[in-house]
Amino acid sequence: MEEIDLLLLFDAVLGFTLVWLAWQTLSSLDLFRAVVLFIAFGLLMALAWVRLDAPDVALAEATIGAGLTGALLLSALAQLSARQKHESETSLFLRLTLGVLMFFLLIGLGYIVFSLPPQALGLSVEVAKNIELSAVANPVTAVLINYRSYDTLLELGVLLLALLAVWSLGSASTRKSAFVNPVLDLLTRILVPVFILVSGYLLWVGAFAPGGAFQAGAVLAAAGVLLFLNDWHLESKYTGFALRSVLVIGLVMFIAIGFGFVFLDRVFLEYPPELAGGFILLIEAAASLSIGIILAALFLGRDPSVKSDSCSDIDTGVHK
Amino acid sequence: MFIDSPHWITAIILIPILGAVASFLWRQHSVKLALIAATGTTTSVGILSWQVINSGVQRYELGAWNAPLGIELYVDGLSLSMLLVTAIVGFAISIYASAYFRDDKTNFFWPLWLFLWSALNALFVSSDIFNLFVTLEIIGLSAVALVALSGGVDAITAAMRYLLVSLLGSMLYLMGVALLYHSYGTVDMALLSLRTEMIPSMWLIMGLMTAGLLLKTALFPLHFWLPSAHSSAPAPVSALLSALVVKASFYILWRLWIVVFPLNEYARADLGVIFGILGALAVVWGGVKALQQTRLKLLIAYSTVMQIGYLFLAFPLASVMGWKATLYFIMTHAVAKTAMFMVAGNILIHKGHDRIADLYSTVQNLPLTIVAFSLSGISLMGLPPSGGFVAKWLLLEAAVVSGQWWWGIVLLVGGLLTGAYVFKVLGYAFIQEDSNNAPRPIGISKRMEWMALCMALFAIVLGFIAPFILGIIDIGSPFTKGVL
Amino acid sequence: MTPVFLYALVGIVLFSIGLYGLILYKHLLRKILAINIMGSGVFLVMVALAARTEEGVPDAVPHAMVITGIVVAVSATALALALMLRVNEKTGQAVLPEDRET
Repeated sequence: MEEIDLLLLFDAVLGFTLVWLAWQTLSSLDLFRAVVLFIAFGLLMALAWVRLDAPDVALAEATIGAGLTGALLLSALAQLSARQKHESETSLFLRLTLGVLMFFLLIGLGYIVFSLPPQALGLSVEVAKNIELSAVANPVTAVLINYRSYDTLLELGVLLLALLAVWSLGSASTRKSAFVNPVLDLLTRILVPVFILVSGYLLWVGAFAPGGAFQAGAVLAAAGVLLFLNDWHLESKYTGFALRSVLVIGLVMFIAIGFGFVFLDRVFLEYPPELAGGFILLIEAAASLSIGIILAALFLGRDPSVKSDSCSDIDTGVHK
Repeated sequence: MFIDSPHWITAIILIPILGAVASFLWRQHSVKLALIAATGTTTSVGILSWQVINSGVQRYELGAWNAPLGIELYVDGLSLSMLLVTAIVGFAISIYASAYFRDDKTNFFWPLWLFLWSALNALFVSSDIFNLFVTLEIIGLSAVALVALSGGVDAITAAMRYLLVSLLGSMLYLMGVALLYHSYGTVDMALLSLRTEMIPSMWLIMGLMTAGLLLKTALFPLHFWLPSAHSSAPAPVSALLSALVVKASFYILWRLWIVVFPLNEYARADLGVIFGILGALAVVWGGVKALQQTRLKLLIAYSTVMQIGYLFLAFPLASVMGWKATLYFIMTHAVAKTAMFMVAGNILIHKGHDRIADLYSTVQNLPLTIVAFSLSGISLMGLPPSGGFVAKWLLLEAAVVSGQWWWGIVLLVGGLLTGAYVFKVLGYAFIQEDSNNAPRPIGISKRMEWMALCMALFAIVLGFIAPFILGIIDIGSPFTKGVL
Repeated sequence: MTPVFLYALVGIVLFSIGLYGLILYKHLLRKILAINIMGSGVFLVMVALAARTEEGVPDAVPHAMVITGIVVAVSATALALALMLRVNEKTGQAVLPEDRET
C-alpha cells in the first residue's frame, strides 16, 4: 500500500513539474532560459513515458524531442539578433478572456477523458495475436515497420521534406567558425565511435526490446551534431550526390522492398512471414542511416554543397 | 493484365515520391525527371479511374493487414473526382512551371511539388484518420516551403504565418484523433462510422477537429492567413494552393462530417446552418475585399476566400444534390483558379508587376492570356455554359428542393461581386496605351499562355460534360450516409 | 486517480497552456515552443490512455503513433526555426508583421 502511494506521489510531482516547466518556458522573458527549461521539460517527459510503460517513446523523446529539438532551438537562438525580448504588455482583458476560454477547453477535454472507461484494450489484442506473423517481438516495432508501415514510410518522407524545405530557404548567416576547444575535440573523438556503436545496438535490439530505427537514427544524429560543434566539415566531393544518396536511401529502400514483394504476388508493404525478419532489419538499417544524416543536416541548417561566402571549407583531419 | 493490376492505387502515391527523390538526386535533370514523374502520375490516375469507372470502388489493405490493425486505402467516386482534378491541375502546372521558373529555384520546386502531389493523392485515398494527419503534415510543410520560394520578405512572413496556422490546425485535429481512438478503439473511418455515438463528449471532439480543419481550409473568419500566402507565392504555387491544398483539408472535414460524426440527418442539417452562414459571410467578405484590391494576385487570392464560402453552402441542405454541387464547385474552381493564377503569372513576367491599374496593352501583347482570364472568369461567375454554372445550378436546385431557397441569394450576390472584379480587371487590360512610352515588356513562353488557355477552356468544358462527371461522382454512393 | 488519468490530465493542461501561449505571445520562438508543448500534450493523452490495458502490456499502436508524431514535430520545428531566422534577417525582428511594435 505504501509503495503504491509513493509512486502516485511521484507521478503527481512529475506531472506538476511538467506543467510548471511548460508555463515557465512560455512566460520566461529571457529566451535562453525558455529554451533550457524546454529541454528540461523534454527530459522529464521522457520520465513520464517510462512511468507509462512506453520505453520506446521515452527513448525517442529523450533523443529527438529533448535532445535534437533542444540542439535546434539553441542553434537558432544563437543566430537571433536580440535574445532578450520583452513581450509588449498585452491587455489584461485579452489575457483574461483567453484564460477563461482555455479553462473551459480544459474542463471539456477533462470531461471527455474522465468519462472514458478505466480499462480498455484498444488494439493490444490484435497486436499480440499477430506478433509472430510480424516477425518482430517488440510490439511497437511491429506496429511501426509492419502493421502500420505505410505511416512510417510517409514519416520518412516528412523528414526528407523538412530538410528539402530548410535547404530551399538558402543559407542564412552561417555560424561563425568557433575556436575549437581541445577538450571538446577529445570528447568528440571518443564519443562519436561510441554513439555509432550505440546506434547500431539500438537498431539491432529494436526487434525484441525497446529501440528501433528512429531512436538509432537520433543517436547517430547526435554524433553528427557533436562533429559539427567541433567544426568538422564533410569533404566537398561527398557533399553532392553522395550525400543526397544517403539522405534518400531509407525512403527508397522502404519503397523498393515494400513494392518488391508485389511482383511475388503480394500486396504493397506485405512481407512473407518467413523472410520478414531479415527484410525488416534491412529497411530499418537504411532508415536509421537516413534518419541520422537528415537530423544532423537539419542541425547544420544549410546545404553543404553550396559554397557560402563567409566560411571556407576546411578539410580537417577528422574523417568519418 | 498490367492495366488490371490492383496496385495502381499505390502507384499514384509512389510515382510522385520517387519522382521527388529523383529530381532531388539528379539536380541538373530535375525538370525532365519531374515531368516524367508528372506524366506517370497522371497516367496512373487515369488507369485507376478506368478501373473504378468499370468495376466500382476499390479497397486496398496495405501490408495485407486489415483495419483496425492496419491501414486501408479506399477509392470511391468522391476520392476519384478529387484525384482527377488534382491530376489535371497538377499536370498543367507542371508544364507551366517548367517554363515559369528560369533560375536555380527550379532545383527545389520540383521535389517539393512532387512530394505535395504524392501527399494529396495519399490523402484522397486514405481511410485512416491518423494516416490523414501524416499526409496533412506533408502537404503543410511542402506548401509552406513552396510559398517561401519567392524569397522576398512578403513571401517569408506569409510562409511563417501559414506554417504556424497549419501546425495549430494539425494539433487540434490530432487531439480529436487521439480522443476518437481511445473512445472507439480504431482510427479507420469505416469502422468509426459504425462505432461512434452521439454522446456529450462527441461535441467537443467534433468541434476540435472541425476547428483545426477550418483553419486549414481558410473559411471565414479563419481565412486571415490565406491572401498573403497565396498572393506572395510564385504563380504556379499560388495556383496549387488555391486549387488543391485548401480543398484537401476540406475533403477531410467533409468525409468526417458525412461518415464519421454520428449525427442523424436532421442534426446534420441544423448544425450545417452554422457552416452555411460562415460560407455566406465568406462569399460577401471575399467578394468585397477582392473588389478593393489594387494588385491582381491579391484580387485572385480574395476570390479564393470567396469561392471557399460556396463550398459550405450545401451543409445546411444535407442532400445528395447539394453535395454533388459542392464537388462540382471544387472541380470547376480548381481548374478556373489555376487558369487565373497562370494568367497572373504571365502578366507578372511580361510586365514586371501585377498592378491592376497599369494593365494596359495586355490584350494586344498577351491575347491568349486575356482570353483565358475571360473564360475562367465566366466559370467563376457561374455564367452558362461553364462548369461554374452547372455547380451553381445544382446548388440552387438543391436549395429550392429542401425549402431553403435563401442560400440562392448568396449565389446571386457572389455572382455579381465576381462579375464586378472580373470586369474591372478586363477593363484595364483592354486599355490601349501609346506603346512608345511604355517600358518594353518581356516576351513569355508560348507554353505558359497555352496552359492558361487550356485550363480555362477545361473549366468551360466541365459544363458540357456534366452528366459524365456526375456519373463518376456517384460511384460507391459516397453521400448516402448523411442525407435527408 | 490512477496514474493513467493523472498523466492524461497533465496532457490536457499542457495542450491548453500551449494553445494559450501560441495565441498570446508574439515572439516567434515562443510560438514555436508553444506548438511543441501542445504536441507534447496530445502525445501524453495518447500514451497515458494506452496504459489502461489490464495485463500491464500497454496498447502499442498509440506508442507508434506518438513516435511518428515526435518525428513530425521535430521536422516541423526545424522548418519553423529556419523560417523564423529568415524573418528575423529580413525584418530585423522575430515577429510577424502584425505583431511588430513600431
